[in-house]
Amino acid sequence: MGYYLGVDGGGTFTDCAAMDDKGRLYFAKATTTKDDFAAGMFDALSALADECGTSVPDLIAETERFNLGTTVGTNLLVERRGARTGLLTTAGHGDAILIMRGTGRTAGLELDLLFHPQATQKPLPLVPRALIREIDERTDCAGNEVVPLDEAAVEAAVRSLVEDARVTALAIAFLWSFKNPAHELRALEIVRRVAPAVYVCCSHQVAPRLGEYERTVATVINSYVAPASAACFQQSADRLRRSGLKHPLLIMQTSGGVLPADKAIEIPLTSLGSGPVGGLMGSLSLARALGHKNIIATDMGGTSFEVGLIINGEPLVGEEKIIDRYRYRLSQLETTSIACGGGSIARIDPYSRSIRVGPESAGAEPGPVCYRRGGTEPTVTDADVVLGLLSADGFLGGRMPLDREAALRAVAGLGEQVGLGPTETAAGILRINNLRAAELIRQQTVVRGYDPRDFVVYAYGGAGPLHAFAFAQELGVKGVVIPLGNGASTLSAYGCSTSDLVLNVERERLFFAPFPADEVNSLMVELENQALDSMRDMGKSGHEVEIERFGLMRYGGQWLHSLLVHVPPGELTAEDLTAVVDDFRAMYDALYGHGAGVVSQGVEMVTARIRVVARLQRPTQAAQEPFNEAAGTKGRLGTREIFWPDRMERLESDVFDGREIGPGERIAGPAVVELPYTSVAVGVDQMLECDLFGNFLLRLDQPAGRAAGCAAAQRPAAGALLWAAT
Amino acid sequence: MGSNMTASPQQPDMMGADVVWDGMVRGYAPPEVLSISPRLRLHTAEEPEVDPISYEVIRNSLQNINLENGHTIQKLSISPITMINRDFQCAILTESGDVMFMGPYLMYLANTLGLMTKWVLENRSESPGIEDGDVFLCSDPYVGSSHQQDTELTSPVFWEGELFCWVANSVHYSDVGGPAPGSFCLASRTIWEDPPLFPPMKLVERGGLRADMEQLYLRQSRVPATVAMDLHAALAGLTVSRQRILKLLERYGSKTVKAVMKRTLDAGERAFVDKLRMIPDGRWSERIYTEAAVPGDTGIYISQVNITKNGDYLYVDNEGTSPQIGAINNTYAGFVGAVLAPLTLMLAYDLGGVCGGVSRRVKFRPTPGTITCADYPAPISGAGVCNMPMVVATATGATAKMVACAAPPLRDKALGIADVHAYGGWIFNGINQYGKFFMAMHSGMAPGAIPASPGRDGIDTGGQDWVPGMEASNVEENELSWPVLTLFRRENRADEAGAGRYRSGVGAEEAWILHGTDSLDTQVYNNESFTKCQGLLGGNPGGRAFFRVKRDTDVAARLAAGRVPQSVDEVSGEEIPLFWKGGPIELDRMSVWTLNLPNFAGYGDPLDRDLELVTRDLLEGMTTAEDAFRAYGVVADGDGVVDARKTQMEREKRRRQRLEDGLPPREVRGLIRPLEGSEHRAVGDRLEAVRTPRGIRYACTCGQDLGPEGADFKDSCVVRETPVDAIGPGYSSFAEEMMRKMCFREFFCPRCGARLATEVARLGDDYLWDIDLRLSQGRQDPRERDSGEET
Repeated sequence: MGYYLGVDGGGTFTDCAAMDDKGRLYFAKATTTKDDFAAGMFDALSALADECGTSVPDLIAETERFNLGTTVGTNLLVERRGARTGLLTTAGHGDAILIMRGTGRTAGLELDLLFHPQATQKPLPLVPRALIREIDERTDCAGNEVVPLDEAAVEAAVRSLVEDARVTALAIAFLWSFKNPAHELRALEIVRRVAPAVYVCCSHQVAPRLGEYERTVATVINSYVAPASAACFQQSADRLRRSGLKHPLLIMQTSGGVLPADKAIEIPLTSLGSGPVGGLMGSLSLARALGHKNIIATDMGGTSFEVGLIINGEPLVGEEKIIDRYRYRLSQLETTSIACGGGSIARIDPYSRSIRVGPESAGAEPGPVCYRRGGTEPTVTDADVVLGLLSADGFLGGRMPLDREAALRAVAGLGEQVGLGPTETAAGILRINNLRAAELIRQQTVVRGYDPRDFVVYAYGGAGPLHAFAFAQELGVKGVVIPLGNGASTLSAYGCSTSDLVLNVERERLFFAPFPADEVNSLMVELENQALDSMRDMGKSGHEVEIERFGLMRYGGQWLHSLLVHVPPGELTAEDLTAVVDDFRAMYDALYGHGAGVVSQGVEMVTARIRVVARLQRPTQAAQEPFNEAAGTKGRLGTREIFWPDRMERLESDVFDGREIGPGERIAGPAVVELPYTSVAVGVDQMLECDLFGNFLLRLDQPAGRAAGCAAAQRPAAGALLWAAT
Repeated sequence: MGSNMTASPQQPDMMGADVVWDGMVRGYAPPEVLSISPRLRLHTAEEPEVDPISYEVIRNSLQNINLENGHTIQKLSISPITMINRDFQCAILTESGDVMFMGPYLMYLANTLGLMTKWVLENRSESPGIEDGDVFLCSDPYVGSSHQQDTELTSPVFWEGELFCWVANSVHYSDVGGPAPGSFCLASRTIWEDPPLFPPMKLVERGGLRADMEQLYLRQSRVPATVAMDLHAALAGLTVSRQRILKLLERYGSKTVKAVMKRTLDAGERAFVDKLRMIPDGRWSERIYTEAAVPGDTGIYISQVNITKNGDYLYVDNEGTSPQIGAINNTYAGFVGAVLAPLTLMLAYDLGGVCGGVSRRVKFRPTPGTITCADYPAPISGAGVCNMPMVVATATGATAKMVACAAPPLRDKALGIADVHAYGGWIFNGINQYGKFFMAMHSGMAPGAIPASPGRDGIDTGGQDWVPGMEASNVEENELSWPVLTLFRRENRADEAGAGRYRSGVGAEEAWILHGTDSLDTQVYNNESFTKCQGLLGGNPGGRAFFRVKRDTDVAARLAAGRVPQSVDEVSGEEIPLFWKGGPIELDRMSVWTLNLPNFAGYGDPLDRDLELVTRDLLEGMTTAEDAFRAYGVVADGDGVVDARKTQMEREKRRRQRLEDGLPPREVRGLIRPLEGSEHRAVGDRLEAVRTPRGIRYACTCGQDLGPEGADFKDSCVVRETPVDAIGPGYSSFAEEMMRKMCFREFFCPRCGARLATEVARLGDDYLWDIDLRLSQGRQDPRERDSGEET
């Protein structure tokens, strides 16, 4: 037997997903071990081996591919447990990372806090002033040297940082290094000679983009997380190899691909935040099988709600990321998050006498009131319990009983203040929370010029499947997929397992239209060769490697806006490049309305990018045995009264054990399908169907006669074709 | 008063007995009831009840719709001042033009959108009429923009034939004409030397962009293509928000949405009133001095804001402000918008940008014909670099002193002055490295600094509180666009500038040379003769903002030798004496120049600063042992170790010195004798209001009586007057003559020597009576009592 494994670890749980060479899927979870990542991973592998009916050594020995995503880097950063990092930078610009472009108080903050200066503060510095060294050197915007590098000063600075200040990592970030990296490369040589044990990286390698602040942040974060990330990857790889893994460990990247651990160690920044991207890639893999082109991938957990988009079969690429108010620029699959989840707290706004939900969260500790861990303010999860969407004894497969009475008291107490009963209050909390989720999605789609009605929502994470019936309805999307059913809570791990080798190589260089064909050609070829060389290092070449070319383009002066435009392959002619400019103008008008662009305004290409992909072979997911209609459903547990917030009605609703729902089986709402790590709510007039791959498809407006519970009138299927593509 | 200027001329045929606040001669101040053509039907019906849940769902949607307007502008505009510095604003307004939400952008623009919209309702509903799909454009500050560059668009949203609400935005356009590139015409003496005014005109008619109107507007500009991109971005913002509002109406019904809009304003009003009720009645003032009405003028002028709190209302006037003159004027629209910014930050910080409820409780009574409420034909285009930040600063001072008298926790929301009326701005033009004409605005104020508060230090380079989303551009972005090379951009140190019990956050300095061109023309820069940023309640004033130029330097030789100069003092050459407002200057290949955005206001007596905070600053390299000694009387060694005993002795010595140096109090008083059990109310850092058998009196926390309510406590203080450049080394400028017109006044408790207040003032001007509590019955100003509506 051969296995294709994905692991997503470092959060509360370490999740595993595996596909065997017959295309069968297996999932498992274990608690993350805080100080020994590999230990938690092996716990999860042990659980996975049980699921597969084998032992850990056999599982690992038979593993054909092992893809690992972690939040280790993010944890280091947020908890400020990274390496003591020193920064070498251009004389006169050492304060860039302290000034933070004046946005250190506000970047990434919720709107309400922006009007409240006393509630804002800058983050703890990643590199304190004492560890910043300014070096005499200067390059200009054309890449010409203005002041040569003071090599003696570099050596002295490195010695003082390493010997006196005891830094264990260094970042080198000089102005305009992405135009001309000579000074950074020379400084790198000096560091390697003087302090060979210290981790060091250069800004032109980590994030070769315009903007010294963001480039410095990227470089510093990279160094800050590098030693511990490298140790984590290395230890995991070593332990797996000793346990019999025959293939190199591959590390999940925010590009949506994987890289061999030894390559990933070079620039760990690109694996920072790869967890949400894993979920997005899992959605993408399933969407290809289901024939869905436009996906809103949503992950709702206890405190946050993450959204990523797939447009026309391609995940949306973002160019910027904010962590802890530090901003950096890196091409990555875009995911956006707000504080909105099961733990979001409901409060009364005293002036409008209305209910607000979030952004404050009870998190996992103390958690919702019903967890009985000391939480006193009602949360979204408490509202779920009060309404009956979550059952007090069915949570986490019954392993964690919930205190419904306490939840009810808390919700009732809140409602009394505005003259609402407990049920109305709980329903209201959900309506507001769902609206916030829908708002985030709307912002991500509408602002980019897309209409959410052209999308299917993929809902995963602990709280996603329970609330998708309502926020998806709010958006008017075509339908909802609970990917892999029971696998929805480990979708990121599954996504890691499906990812291919991906490498982005790019160069920031400004071209004004009409673009000079010879210069663009030589740049594209140079970047392609660079990318292909790296792929060759990873053992991939020739027809195994797909190459795509892009230009980041904008109207002259639009620093904050660019569109990713495909550039055709091969030797480009002037006509080809004119067509690229026309494509840009057409995209711009399509996104922002006809006439949004100004014809007289020049078009620029700012960045040339090559994306190379080596597809990794894996089995096709096996279809399961269809549900035997004659035998009837095995999963029905009974009924319970649920108050449906979208209808404001209390209805006797069916309850199912999701593990017993088979392919082809349909469940008409109102119903709840309980799974070990999540529950799926099926609203009134909605229909849940299990497909041949174990995905739950939720039709929002599709009652059907052939239902396990109640029958409802047949209505024309607006989105019917959507589901037919399996 | 030493000025070589005469007051602004008046336009004879517009002057008469009937000057009214109609946006012609005098700024437009809308009446309570608007006069609107009966042809236009307004949607006023609302559901009597909306449940708390639907309310929140709709409120949240409206807030996000307004943000989408802003996101669109930010994304699609191309002038850095808009897309990066966030010099724009957007709003949703009720059918009658009341601003409901503003976005986290330049705050003072929000209310101007309301004024413009109300003016359109009153003056355009008959002809040419207001119809579905229309967009009106306005750049007339007498109607509702803060200066001509801030051109505003407002667009009605119709529902079933009735005008349901408005969506609007105001964007700073790079150049809208007039004699100076960038349109800041700082030498204008009348509006006829300024960029043209466009009173509201129909730019879009029933959904169709009018080519004639668009061209009329763009034709004035030196950079019409840039302005066109930004104008289209602004139009796209309106389209996005209008479409989403229509969807909301379809879904929830117009009466429900309207009820939510009204209730949101009511809730904002209630929240504001609740805060007001934590503040005693009284009158608080701030006075800020500015200089040079046009280049070469040596006059000194006053902006004063006085806030009277009476019950649940605030009354704001500008009594004490200089008559309108030269190019340092703003209109009523600017005054109101600027005053509302600090009121929102300190008293409506929890409303997420709902400012409409606040403005219902604030009554404006500025004196017309003054620099902060000018009449036609005063030129206004320069307001953006001088008056608007100056009025924000003045209003901030008055508001902060008022809020500092509030009960905790509101008291801690007081925020010192961030006076960017020196603005750190630099506007220049020339031929760039690509051989093309360019024009640029560099906002040196963008790294910002958050001033001190009664409860905490400010925030170093923490942005501008009154432009919450503001960002500084990267050095590399600037060098890519403009033919310059930045020698350094660094944080200031925490020295005397903005020192106090709590210090201001530090500002930043940036220096350049030319690169890729032979010369540049600089149109706007500000080099302060003296600091204009008053300290808060005994704190040091902010530092002096400067713009320095050295010519014929050896910078090229230094670079060739492998060294990047890190201060202007380091290079040889001749420094040109620059004044607050010089004429255009040419910079060449041998020039080095630098711009400093100083630290802002400190809070409380620096000698009261906690030693741990000083130690932290020493260890973090934010201050030096010498600075800590000068500013705080702290004795520390080179490693930042503070000697507590020596520090205490030094501080005691300085307190004694203050009393020896100072002029004796005008009124000599003894110890305060409080009524048994009465509470002391903090009304400053060490200043208190105390109930005594002789009525309410001011006192120092040491027990010194500082006089009765109804008198200025400053009259009971020892006062020391020193030259402004004696505050610290950074306060000295070339403008000897101007500096000598001013002084630094410190008001000390005659018993313990604590510093209770400071003023940067013109020599000979009386003390500013800035705190006048009216705790006792019957002390309300009759003017306010007459018109104060009951709640």
